[in-house]
Amino acid sequence: MKTHLFRTVVFSSLILLTLSACRKESTVDKFDNPNSRTCTSYAIQFETVWQGMDQGYVFWADDTVDWDERYRTFKPVFEAFDTMPYVSMAAYQAAYDGLFQGLLDHHLMGIFFAPGRNGRFAVVRPGSNDYSHPTYSGAELERELQVLRSRADLIDYVGFDATIDPNTSMSLPGTYFALFKGKRAGEKIAYFRFTDFSLSNMCYNKDYLYYKISALAPIKAFYGTDDASGMTPYGYANDESVVGIIIDLRGNPGGNTADLVPFIGSLSQSINLVGYTRVKDGFGRLDYSPWAEYWINCPSRHLLQPKPIVALVDINSVSCAELSTLLIKGLPNGTVIGERTYGAVGALLPSSNYSHDLFYSGCMGNQELYEDYGNYAYLGYPELLRIFNSQYHNVFPFYIYTSTFNQVDKDFNQVEGVGVQPDIEVLYNRNRLWNDNVDVQFERAISFIKNGR
Amino acid sequence: MKKQHLSALLLASFLLLMPLALQAQEAAATDQEAPAATQPSKHFSFGVLGGLDRNYHIIDMSYMDAYSYTPFAPGKSYGLQLGYSPWKWLTFRLDGVMLDKNYYRDHTLTNYGGFYPDTTTNQYLNVPLVVMLNVGNTVRLHLFGGVYGGYWLSSHRKGRTMAVFGSPEYDVDVDLDSPLSQRRDNRKDFGYTYGAGLSAIFAKMIELGVEIRWYYGIYDIQKEYMTNLNPRYNTTMVLQAGLNFWL
Repeated sequence: MKTHLFRTVVFSSLILLTLSACRKESTVDKFDNPNSRTCTSYAIQFETVWQGMDQGYVFWADDTVDWDERYRTFKPVFEAFDTMPYVSMAAYQAAYDGLFQGLLDHHLMGIFFAPGRNGRFAVVRPGSNDYSHPTYSGAELERELQVLRSRADLIDYVGFDATIDPNTSMSLPGTYFALFKGKRAGEKIAYFRFTDFSLSNMCYNKDYLYYKISALAPIKAFYGTDDASGMTPYGYANDESVVGIIIDLRGNPGGNTADLVPFIGSLSQSINLVGYTRVKDGFGRLDYSPWAEYWINCPSRHLLQPKPIVALVDINSVSCAELSTLLIKGLPNGTVIGERTYGAVGALLPSSNYSHDLFYSGCMGNQELYEDYGNYAYLGYPELLRIFNSQYHNVFPFYIYTSTFNQVDKDFNQVEGVGVQPDIEVLYNRNRLWNDNVDVQFERAISFIKNGR
Repeated sequence: MKKQHLSALLLASFLLLMPLALQAQEAAATDQEAPAATQPSKHFSFGVLGGLDRNYHIIDMSYMDAYSYTPFAPGKSYGLQLGYSPWKWLTFRLDGVMLDKNYYRDHTLTNYGGFYPDTTTNQYLNVPLVVMLNVGNTVRLHLFGGVYGGYWLSSHRKGRTMAVFGSPEYDVDVDLDSPLSQRRDNRKDFGYTYGAGLSAIFAKMIELGVEIRWYYGIYDIQKEYMTNLNPRYNTTMVLQAGLNFWL
């Protein structure tokens, strides 16, 4: 009996000890933080990029891209690059285009550099494959301004004044304010348009880049102050004769969220729930924090008197312009007219060190590469390539600009890659703008203010 | 069949078949031992149990050294137990237990002054089946081992996160039926359970005992939805008391 008991205990213990090794081994030890890994080949650059996105991309819950399949498809491609005596720029670009194709994040931009004879770099923007039209160009924006200023119902215009310095190379109309006649005698309609969400910076740093000073006058005309404190009684927006407001966000690429409260929040009567955000909080693609509410406050200094507000938007209204659209759409007196917006609402922290080391997600890679690339518009491709060649000899740096926050609207509807839908859709019509001097989207907005529909 | 499933099946089979083999051996011998006056003379028992637990969330965070996981204790454990004892030294016991498997995650960013704690409380239904070896008469020592199956019933998170504009604090029930959770979370639980206990028997019918037990989960709490999945497990230590009635 005792022998049986002893054998039973020993045998059972052996079984248990053997089977206790049934937990899967972790494989994450083979990965480094993508911010700290030095890539010395195409294959290592690919592995680091793929793994960094695998762990730090914030839209895996909604994205339809099979990221594991992309690994199986493109790992051999990059490994083959390492065996080739020469890799063309086209091949390098095509490989990264294929890897990132179809990803949901419409902020996403990847910059990749491969050293070698003259080096090569690739840039991907998967969101830019959406329908677009050229309202970003200076010529289009100037044409829209010309058409606006030629209207017979224009009362006043405050904007960039080229007579201040005729030698400036600034060609975009920048920020401007306009006042139009309303439907009835004495009624007016206020219109405000701005280049991007850097108004607070202009207000705080009044000597910041000469041509930016042009924003202060239109800001003051509309809000009544140029100190970025919000609405006052002294601007046209709050004038009793102004029966409606048009905020033109077309072609606005977004910018600093610090502008949202003083310049957009001040259009409302109270604090506004715009949506919800969450961040990654683990290695797994689906490891997320709970949703946090996203509120845009209303500065309490002085409220805008309730009146119809139209957000005029198009496919090139991006990021903060879309958050503004969500706020105005949610107001009882707000209406969105134009096209669906771009679909890039996930806020981000551009510094890869801060963003990726904060929640191990969002922007990642070589910060200097990103900053140098930021000067592309001024330097041009040959000079940028020369800079990269001089800085990166045996390393393959990269930078991925991607959202830190996954954001939805206040009804938990996905906006990323989808955009904010207009209440009244009016598609951009280039022919009418250039041939007939008619901005059809603006016409519909002002008609709505005058007629209420 | 996965390795874990096969292992579990083999162990369960062994535990169930072992007594039959022993019984065959025992049948060849005469019964030389008369039961002591204070031992239960009945074979079946039922009872209740309850206690406190401490759960260890097992996860490899690798280079994410700003995160750390520690127990959030004590959790609670309570349930029912059924027993069958063919001989005084051997008992098969089946429990149905509501068990907390909680943990605390610290996320502190010293360089940036960020502090993002998170407490996750999970409630599971665990059904362990164990073989108990009993030594003693009025006061008995028990050693036991076996397997358990379980189901993840609910989850709650409380903490704070990065927020753009708005309150970073949250205190929410996790919807385990949401599409995201259905893709990610493995609600089925399985593993091994083992431990030791001490009990005292009164009037041949009532047994009062305490035991310390471990639940060693071998099922990842996540489904295999990605290639480089970082596995996560729970190991739960329970200190509980039980009241048993022998029929």
